Amino acid sequence: MELFFQTLGVVLSPPHFVMLIAGVLMGLAIGILPGLGGIVGMTILLPVIYGMEVHSAFALLIGMVAVIPTSDTFPSVMMGIPGSSASQATIMDGYPLAKKGEAARALGAAFTASLIGGLFGATVLTIIIPIARPIVLVFASPELFMLALLGMSMVGVLSGQNPIKGFLAAGIGLMLGALGDAPAVPEYRYTFGFDYLMDGVPLVIVGLGLFAIPEIVDLLIKGRSISKVATLGKGWLDGVKDALNHKLIILRCSVIGVIVGFLPGLGGSVVDWIAYGHIVQTSKDRENFGKGDIRGVIAPESANNAKEGGGLIPTFLFGIPGSGSMAVFLGGLLILGIQPGPSMVTENVDLIYTAIWSLALANVFGAGLSILLSKPITRLTIIPFSYLAPFLVLIITFASYQASRNWGDLIALLFMGILGWIMKQYGWPRPAALIGYVLSDNLETYLFISVQRYGFSWLARPGVLALALIILASVTMGIFYQKKKSPGS
Amino acid sequence: MKKLRHVLALVIALSFIAVPNASSADFSGKTIEWIIPFSVGGGSDVWARLYAPFLQKYLPGNPIVAVKNMPGGGSIIGGNHFDSRAKPDGLTAFGSSGSTTFPYLLENPKVKYDFAKYPIVFASPVGGMAYITPKLGVKSVADLKGLKKQLAYASQGATSLDIVPLLAFDILGLKVKAVFGYKGRGPGRVAFEQGEVNIDYQTTPAYIKNVRPLVQQGQAVPLLSWGVVDDDGNIVRDPMEPDLPSLPEAYEIMYGKKPKGPAWNAWKAFFIAGFAVQKAMWLPEKTPDDIVATYREAAAKTIADPEFQKIVEKSLGGYPQMAGLKARKAFDQVLRVPKKDRTWLINWLKTKYDVTIK
Repeated sequence: MELFFQTLGVVLSPPHFVMLIAGVLMGLAIGILPGLGGIVGMTILLPVIYGMEVHSAFALLIGMVAVIPTSDTFPSVMMGIPGSSASQATIMDGYPLAKKGEAARALGAAFTASLIGGLFGATVLTIIIPIARPIVLVFASPELFMLALLGMSMVGVLSGQNPIKGFLAAGIGLMLGALGDAPAVPEYRYTFGFDYLMDGVPLVIVGLGLFAIPEIVDLLIKGRSISKVATLGKGWLDGVKDALNHKLIILRCSVIGVIVGFLPGLGGSVVDWIAYGHIVQTSKDRENFGKGDIRGVIAPESANNAKEGGGLIPTFLFGIPGSGSMAVFLGGLLILGIQPGPSMVTENVDLIYTAIWSLALANVFGAGLSILLSKPITRLTIIPFSYLAPFLVLIITFASYQASRNWGDLIALLFMGILGWIMKQYGWPRPAALIGYVLSDNLETYLFISVQRYGFSWLARPGVLALALIILASVTMGIFYQKKKSPGS
Repeated sequence: MKKLRHVLALVIALSFIAVPNASSADFSGKTIEWIIPFSVGGGSDVWARLYAPFLQKYLPGNPIVAVKNMPGGGSIIGGNHFDSRAKPDGLTAFGSSGSTTFPYLLENPKVKYDFAKYPIVFASPVGGMAYITPKLGVKSVADLKGLKKQLAYASQGATSLDIVPLLAFDILGLKVKAVFGYKGRGPGRVAFEQGEVNIDYQTTPAYIKNVRPLVQQGQAVPLLSWGVVDDDGNIVRDPMEPDLPSLPEAYEIMYGKKPKGPAWNAWKAFFIAGFAVQKAMWLPEKTPDDIVATYREAAAKTIADPEFQKIVEKSLGGYPQMAGLKARKAFDQVLRVPKKDRTWLINWLKTKYDVTIK
């Protein structure tokens, strides 16, 4: 315990603190730029940390990665463009709020939720790390398959009034995810002779193609500003109050965030959708979801910041990454001469504490700075979009090209953009397609492993049965509330 | 101005006198692009980034050595790019790994690169150690003989580096079911800890940090190391875990004779490609001899640097790194793999795992 607070002193000492702030500023910038997320940030910083003192390097890397899910809310809320893959679900209700001129309120709520979620993640990391190994080990391949299935069950609530289109869209997503190398056999699927497709279409391109391009096209066609009203309505303080009024939602979604983060192999990129789906599913009054319900902003934003705390657990304890950015972070650890493993808890506990403090402090600074920035930045929503569009197209193209630095990235972006626009025009739920895409690899891999290893006996594992019950309950609850609502509406 | 010219002339003259034997290549103000066909943060990327600053220090003119990641197609895309685009001017280099060499050896038709054509600069070995669950009562390799129980191994794929462990298990006569689909050795190790599989191997750094604690807690029983190649090309005990027998020793313990035959020959070839010279730095075909010599000298100086030795101990498994002709000699063993051994392996993949290379 003494060491725990000693570490705070280390983190607050000038050389480390400067690194932490540098990391936070960089993370905020990367988060604001549409499409760029933790992986890009880590990639930029990795060469920098060479030869750096370990605690400073930790402050820099973790400071950066901790605040990306905070500031990536700006483009998601204000332009309907995912700031990074962690804030895709925030678009669902954050963007309609911006259209109503309530961008500041949405941002205020989002940053408050991010802050609390991030602190929650850091706290859980502190408490759980000595006992986390057995918990992680409970989730073997069959359980991970069931968790992916639980994620897929969110498709229903995300499809609104049109479940059939939702399921078909999810199917399109699953097929998109199947492009490229197969998870369990040395085969390449649907590459049509293009080397580019050997690794499938990158997530960032699917996200930007499905959400950013259609939005830009439609706004340009309409030829107006993002906000339908010329003046900005409620301010960020209202958003903070909104968030504090929904403390339980923040808590529930933070728990979801931590769990998704610390389960290796689930990948962090669905956490926002799972939190969003959860909140829609468990709300009795859901008419306003998708039209600007503040709860739809709070839920994903608390989950995506909480995820980073969870994601550090498998990275430190098992040397396996809990998310894409953690995979690069793992390389950073090796460059710093740290081989992660169970002995981290005994030999390098000071580093874990540094990570925890960096995470917590970065969340505080990140949320504070974002709130300060929100006032000038929200003004962007009332200027004519035609001034913004060229800049946005440039950024999005640049972000896509970072995926694999191949011309194929740009062509893929174009194709995904066309697909997204068509889906938007005909009311096909794009979130369902995205969830299908993100989960397809997990679903296939873990099912494949489960059947190879256990035959059909995996179906009788207690963990599998428990998760099956949860899926059943969540789907039933979703249908029940839907039914109860429909006769009246 | 005149004075400046004198000084310049003097500097040029001195530089000739000072290093009479050094090669003429000079990279002042240049940037060297080192293509790594894997993504940032992966094993090969880390390896390259650990080497880069030292190469920068020891290459004449201190050029910037920039790691350029070009992932895709299991490193084939980066390899093909290097083969078709790199100019032999010493400003582009390539870093290969076992995952780059295997498709080359297996004659994957997508592979356009050819290691026989490129000058090698240096190479880095790594080792591997296999271990088993204590639940089967196995205390050492001697107990493996006659083990009836079906074992399971968490594999990344039959044509990946896992050829080495899978074929090793086969040679030792173990009944091992390969469960495919795991994303690497890390998830494989977690699967072992979960009891999802019961036999596994890890490369040396991960073994030391993650498996030794399991051994101490009685949750894993170490079996053997793959071994290391000595100066005469024989496979001997791994100095990192000297209590464990190497694969040929393990075979001898179990069967009382030395391993031989096509399976053994193929294993040895793929073991060398995947472990003994796992990673290597290459220059393009037809790179002038003086540039190659300059690079090899810089690599030799890097390896001799005590600072770098610390990095080798800490992050690269502690194995002796090989520069220049030593690396050449080691990699020659990979290039010399007889056609019949490769064909044997391709057939083995086909009959055992129903995998066709295409």
